[in-house]
Amino acid sequence: MKRLSPFMIGFLVVAAIAVVFLGMRVESAILIALFFSTLRQTTPLLFTALGGMFSERSGVTNIALEGMILFGAAAAAITVERLEAPMLAADPLSRAAWIPWAGVVAGVLMGGLVATVYAIAVIRYKAEQIVTGTAINLLAAGAPPVLMQALYNTTTNSKEVENRLPVIGVAGESLSPLVFLAFLLVPLCWWVMFKTPWGLRLRAVGEQPEAADTMGVNVYRLRYTAVILSGLLAGLAGAYLSIGFLNQFVKNMSAGQGFIALAALIFGKWHPLGVLGATLLFGFFRALAIQLGGGEVMPSVVVEALPYVLTILVLAGFIGRSRPPAAIGKPYEK
Amino acid sequence: MVRYLLLAVNFVVVLLMALAPWAVLKREFGGVGVLLTPFDLVNPQNLQLPAMNTGWAAPFFWVWVLLVLVASAALFLPDARTRARLLYGVGAVGLLLFVAEAVVFYQTVNAINGPALEAGTSPRRLPLRRFSLSLGAYMGVFFSLGMLILARLQLAGGKAFLVRYRGVVVPLVSLLLASLIGALVVGFIRPGLGAEGKVLPLLDAIATKLDLVTYTFQLLFSPVISVTGWFQSLLLATPLIFTGLAVAFGFRSGLFNIGAPGQLTVGAIAAMLVGVYLPGPGWVTLPLSIAAAAAGGALWGAIPGWLKARFGAHEVINTIMLNYVAASLFLFLIAANEYKFFGTTVRLPFKAEGFEARSNEVQEGSRIPLMLDLLVRDGHLSWAIPLALVLGLVAYYTQRRMDLGRRLLISGGAVLAGYVVGGFLPGPSVELTSALTSSRFNGAFLLAVLALLFYNFYLFRTPGGYELRAVGLAPKAAEYGGVNLRSKTVLAMAISGALAGLAATHYVLGGGIDEYRLKQSLPTSVGFDGIAVALMGQNTPIGISLSALLFGVLLTGGLDLNQQLAVSRELVTVLQALIVLFIAAGGFLPRYFIDPLQAAQVETEARAELEAREKALVGRA
Repeated sequence: MKRLSPFMIGFLVVAAIAVVFLGMRVESAILIALFFSTLRQTTPLLFTALGGMFSERSGVTNIALEGMILFGAAAAAITVERLEAPMLAADPLSRAAWIPWAGVVAGVLMGGLVATVYAIAVIRYKAEQIVTGTAINLLAAGAPPVLMQALYNTTTNSKEVENRLPVIGVAGESLSPLVFLAFLLVPLCWWVMFKTPWGLRLRAVGEQPEAADTMGVNVYRLRYTAVILSGLLAGLAGAYLSIGFLNQFVKNMSAGQGFIALAALIFGKWHPLGVLGATLLFGFFRALAIQLGGGEVMPSVVVEALPYVLTILVLAGFIGRSRPPAAIGKPYEK
Repeated sequence: MVRYLLLAVNFVVVLLMALAPWAVLKREFGGVGVLLTPFDLVNPQNLQLPAMNTGWAAPFFWVWVLLVLVASAALFLPDARTRARLLYGVGAVGLLLFVAEAVVFYQTVNAINGPALEAGTSPRRLPLRRFSLSLGAYMGVFFSLGMLILARLQLAGGKAFLVRYRGVVVPLVSLLLASLIGALVVGFIRPGLGAEGKVLPLLDAIATKLDLVTYTFQLLFSPVISVTGWFQSLLLATPLIFTGLAVAFGFRSGLFNIGAPGQLTVGAIAAMLVGVYLPGPGWVTLPLSIAAAAAGGALWGAIPGWLKARFGAHEVINTIMLNYVAASLFLFLIAANEYKFFGTTVRLPFKAEGFEARSNEVQEGSRIPLMLDLLVRDGHLSWAIPLALVLGLVAYYTQRRMDLGRRLLISGGAVLAGYVVGGFLPGPSVELTSALTSSRFNGAFLLAVLALLFYNFYLFRTPGGYELRAVGLAPKAAEYGGVNLRSKTVLAMAISGALAGLAATHYVLGGGIDEYRLKQSLPTSVGFDGIAVALMGQNTPIGISLSALLFGVLLTGGLDLNQQLAVSRELVTVLQALIVLFIAAGGFLPRYFIDPLQAAQVETEARAELEAREKALVGRA
């Protein structure tokens, strides 16, 4: 069970804070709101971290997750806006159920496209992975504003869209279907990673690419697949942010969630269940920061910083040791 | 194979020359202009144009076609030396041809504007304004330079020649590729200049698109032709020099400091604390405030360094995390005056009165003076600081043979002498325009120059720096040689952080964000831009200053671009990102441009080839 300790820590912390809240006789309505808010905040982190897990387990560091989220978010919002514009011009009240899903597909594909560029640079051209990742993040900070200036004459946000993703009502609150998808992906990823031959090869490539190659595994192809997969999922997270959580793209809207996801990945020790625990914990912190606002318990800026501090402590080994895949960050020379 | 590729390139060159505008005769503010192509005058918005000579481009075009044909034929000559000679000739003639074009063009413009100016028309109302040569003419320069390089490649050791200068070749190729993609992006998102809402004939449409792209880059580089532009560019380059040095220092020591934004933030907080609250005369508090900025950055850099040295935690992740922690700390200090922790109220004195989240103002004495106040005394330019800078640098770089102590002593003496002599020299009177006086270009630039010198001096002239570079190149070898890896890691991260922290002096103490205090608009992202600067500058002091200046110019020009063409200034960020991407991928050049071992092999082969040839010559004689 040692491998899952962050998972346990996560729930212990959540439980402890819940007890504190209850001790302060917080109304149950607030607790329920906090619970659902946690689920919503966890979703993009979970998508991104699960994607990042494939990339990093195959031996490719992925600092670029943040940028992939942003590209996905921008693509989703802009696609929806472009698709609905002629329809709204004809009838301002018309809605089409398929349009937001087309936006999701666009976001996912965009994430995959950016990941492909990243993969080609780091796998084919053996570019330094951190530098390349930073370049992708810089690009994600610059390219959407340039496009939005041309489309909407402003660099800060895209036009608000009417066709948002639908929501499913649960216990008086509403959740996007993507929230359910995110949590369903966890057992799926676990199964793929630990119960399929592909998953075994993936882990082998991340630990010992030479050995895997000797056994006939195509290291390059596997890494390409893994990195592109991480981009697809990060793009999905972006689409959730821009047309699920909000109804437009806002400049730098991911606001470091790609890096929090990366932190959750380390915190969760590159394991799907650990990642679930870590993203729930960090999602809870984010939800808490929003709920607390200017509250009595703790300033929200302090709560916001907690995921980062916790990650530093985990990396240093103060709270359980986190060991990355052995071949991470090293280009494979055949 | 390569020959046919070059033939294709030549074809593209001729095609572009035929289609692109060679000159823009006049241009409105929004970019719409009258374009002169070799065979046509493209005037999409039917602007008024005085009668003038527009036929000069066609003859030049035919000469260029001839030159390109000669160059293409030369590629197929059997003898390398003849090939090289011909290509050198083509390149030289091409450059002369461009000069001739420029002369002819400016003469035709003067023929119209000159008389109007004499007749008393104000410079703002001349018949021809914003005229310039354009892509068609520039193609000639690119082609000629390309031919000169190609000629060198024909000769023995040509490949080794390029590989030897790979520190320049890789960034330049990356810059070129990034510019190409940037041009494609602009061409894709904006209609051609003057073509908006119109259906133009195909050739005209192509010409207006090419004009759009050319004008975009002309605007981006436009700051280099005015004093105000230089002021603004140097202003924006100042923090980039600091963060570029910070990242480069990390690279040289084998560490990736991606935490410059956080170190800058903590440096800014420290500078604010000392600058606002330390009482005393300015000559005490200002240096202490600057030192505080460095110390704050050093602390924030040393933490991940220590974590790496002590626990083996990767510095990249930790610096990223610390960036966000610093951002939270920053907000915590300036967003509110009191916070509640589990019901207990904590009071903080740092936030200034009012709605906006900002700190109190730095006291007068702790502010870094504006460059304008340093350079101009009583309406006259003072030579004191420029002369001191130039003499100091010249002394430092010319006295290479001296031992270090004397060299520094002489340089210091030169600075002092320059300052004193320059103070007495009569300077020309300066007209202070509002653009100049409103610029926040300040003395932090001089600190940046000092930081550059420190970087050069410490890394390349001291044992400590030597050890750091050894750690960066081969940590195991360095450790075997007796270097303490752990303490060096902490030290390198601390110095790197201090350099990043010093960037805060520009913003907080120098008023780079319009006010002498901490504000939310503190642009911490320059910490990431530093990565681009360091890569582009290949971690050398001269390279870093040049690339910081380049980005400073582009960012300044980006403002014009935004105003005139409604293209977002973020285009510069895109260019930066692409440059980083391409440099990381080695400019997509062959491996021997990136791998030092393979580069050395290329050199060895070239030397062997030269020796063999000499032997053959001797044998024949």
